[in-house]
Amino acid sequence: MKSVKRRSFLKTTASAAAASALPLGAQEPAAAPAATVVVVHGKDLAKMLAAGIAKLGGWDAFIKPGMKVAIKPNVAWSSAPDKGGNTHPDLVKACVLAAEANGASKITLPENTCHDEKSTFKVSGVEEALKGTKARLYRPAKEDYLQVDVPKGKVVKSAGVPKDILECDCLINLPVAKHHSGATLTLSMKNWMGSIANENRRAWHRDGLHQCIADFSTRIRPKLVIIDASRIMLTKGPQGPGDLAFPDEIILSTDPVAADAYAATLFKKEPFDIGYIKLAHEMGVGCGDLKKVKIERVEV
Amino acid sequence: MFKPRNLIRLVLFVAFALLALGAVPESWRPWRVLLPGLSPLLNLGGAVATFTFGMLTPFALPLLVLPFFKGRFFCWRLCPMGFAAELVSRLNTRGAGLVRSVPFVGKGLALVLLGSAAAGCPVLIWTDPLCLFNGFFAAWRAPFAWGSCVTAIGFVLVLLASLAVPNVWCHRLCPLGGLEEMLAQLANRLRAPRLAAQGPAAPLERVKASRRVFLGFAVGGLAGLAYGKVKSAAAKAVAFIRPPGAAGKNFNALCSRCGNCMKACPYGLIVPDFGVTGLDGLFTPVLKFRSQNESQEQFCFQECTACTQVCPSGAIRFLSKADKQQTAIGLARVDKKTCIAWEKGENCVVCQEFCPYQAIIEVDHNNVNCPIVDEAKCRGCGACESQCPALPIAIVVEGRNPQPVLSDPSPQLSTNSRPASPRLNVES
Repeated sequence: MKSVKRRSFLKTTASAAAASALPLGAQEPAAAPAATVVVVHGKDLAKMLAAGIAKLGGWDAFIKPGMKVAIKPNVAWSSAPDKGGNTHPDLVKACVLAAEANGASKITLPENTCHDEKSTFKVSGVEEALKGTKARLYRPAKEDYLQVDVPKGKVVKSAGVPKDILECDCLINLPVAKHHSGATLTLSMKNWMGSIANENRRAWHRDGLHQCIADFSTRIRPKLVIIDASRIMLTKGPQGPGDLAFPDEIILSTDPVAADAYAATLFKKEPFDIGYIKLAHEMGVGCGDLKKVKIERVEV
Repeated sequence: MFKPRNLIRLVLFVAFALLALGAVPESWRPWRVLLPGLSPLLNLGGAVATFTFGMLTPFALPLLVLPFFKGRFFCWRLCPMGFAAELVSRLNTRGAGLVRSVPFVGKGLALVLLGSAAAGCPVLIWTDPLCLFNGFFAAWRAPFAWGSCVTAIGFVLVLLASLAVPNVWCHRLCPLGGLEEMLAQLANRLRAPRLAAQGPAAPLERVKASRRVFLGFAVGGLAGLAYGKVKSAAAKAVAFIRPPGAAGKNFNALCSRCGNCMKACPYGLIVPDFGVTGLDGLFTPVLKFRSQNESQEQFCFQECTACTQVCPSGAIRFLSKADKQQTAIGLARVDKKTCIAWEKGENCVVCQEFCPYQAIIEVDHNNVNCPIVDEAKCRGCGACESQCPALPIAIVVEGRNPQPVLSDPSPQLSTNSRPASPRLNVES
């Protein structure tokens, strides 16, 4: 993200927040929603994505010709698509094709995999799905990282982030929703742990996962969040294999906290029972209170 | 000056060097087992000692058959170690006749080696020339590490010996050369029995020769038996970790130190040992998780069987992916005093996250998920150890020798069908 974009973005969010908070008060049901979450139900991930994006104003609202696009899927484990450990390859492909169709000049998918990247990219099906596209799926090496400050972080003061994520014009967070033994659930904000440098990853576990995840979300803000909940791992996460459920949904939003809050309900969890959702909400990253979030449902 | 036969030797030398170096396309790399596998001493010796015969065993046949027809053709025309030794020998022009005063140690070596192999515990297997050659080229890796290049020593010693006494390795010391020589002599005797029977001295010489062969075998057999006995008496639970598929008995004897397994490991986990496995285990392979750098997958990845495909002597047996995932090379232990969950009460369990075998049981301790290890499931792959963020590391793998084969089915091999779990429809 370029700093100008971030500044202008912060301005608009701030003014939007101010506008929604000032005149009527938060409890009023008639108040403008703090965030919108689009939930698309269906079987065909590509069509679901298209329908969801249409609801959010079309791809033009996110990607303009010549833009550099970075997508952060969750492709951490050497695990087949049907096990729900990684973002579904069809969804990653649909997203990349859309970026191509909208004239993206560069599409990168930096992913600091947990397993051997060769095996992971192959077994997850994502490498195959991206064949023939101009997208670059890779595991960042040491020199691909930049150290950035996290000024609003309470615990995390700085972190190593792949250059492509920092220097893109449109950042898309494309996680899979699943159980996570350490952080309760893996959703969009947790997905950034698959980007950061290994030493940060280790430190975050020592320093308290939830606060670190929330801290980092104040610094890295995606333009768009798309959560894959076509199948969700209910147990034995994040690696699996575990028990699966099949909501057959994808969740789209420009607000990561709202998207995560909705996704948490798929696991029959109260959003604020997930530490990082609550903390991120309190730190003003977004709105995790689903009463104030407009949920639009689309059937494909 | 430069003859075509030397060109063949040069080509073979370069080809096998590149193979041992791993400087070939990835799909060719398992073929690094070919050169040391050609040696009957390594290949058959290991097979006899462990009583396991496999796909590699037939590769020992050419060098057993060739001497009957062509004498030491392999030594003089093909052997890459011999090529290097011969080139170096030429540098010393003044020591031309020295080699004649050296006894043919190689024959004795070969007999002792094979005799002890027959007794189940081959001694001196690491003197094989093809293993020495391979060990030299397999030793180099990036980034350079002093510890990993020790398998190069044998090759250097052979060249130094050849420099001091020209041709001493090929003509006198090499056990493979000794074997070839003896087989060639046997062939001669079989081919011309009448000729040998003509002179009065010939039968006596034959008896003497057979006596020597018998003696060599017997010495080897006794040495092998004694060595095996001493080893099993001295065996105690030491926590070193061997590559998957490592022989539980007499590993140090079986291992030729050819360096193949160390070079084959894509994660650089396998390193030469310096004394932890015993004095006779010097330079044998052991696993070290999270050794040199912070790269992530510094553990024995469940889908990888690279090291089990390249052992010429049967010290590490071939494992399929399924076999590998049932083999426990070690057992992880949690140190509750340093564990972030147990001690600090923070949610962590990275060990559970990374465990491919779901061997970490989470127990509730003051409302925090805390890890304990399920001994029936832990394979000792080191995923937990390599990722543990605690300082110092709170979960450490101890090796298991011999490596038990677990009955717990690997979750990684489960074929997931869509289970009939109830569809969650939650209204927000």
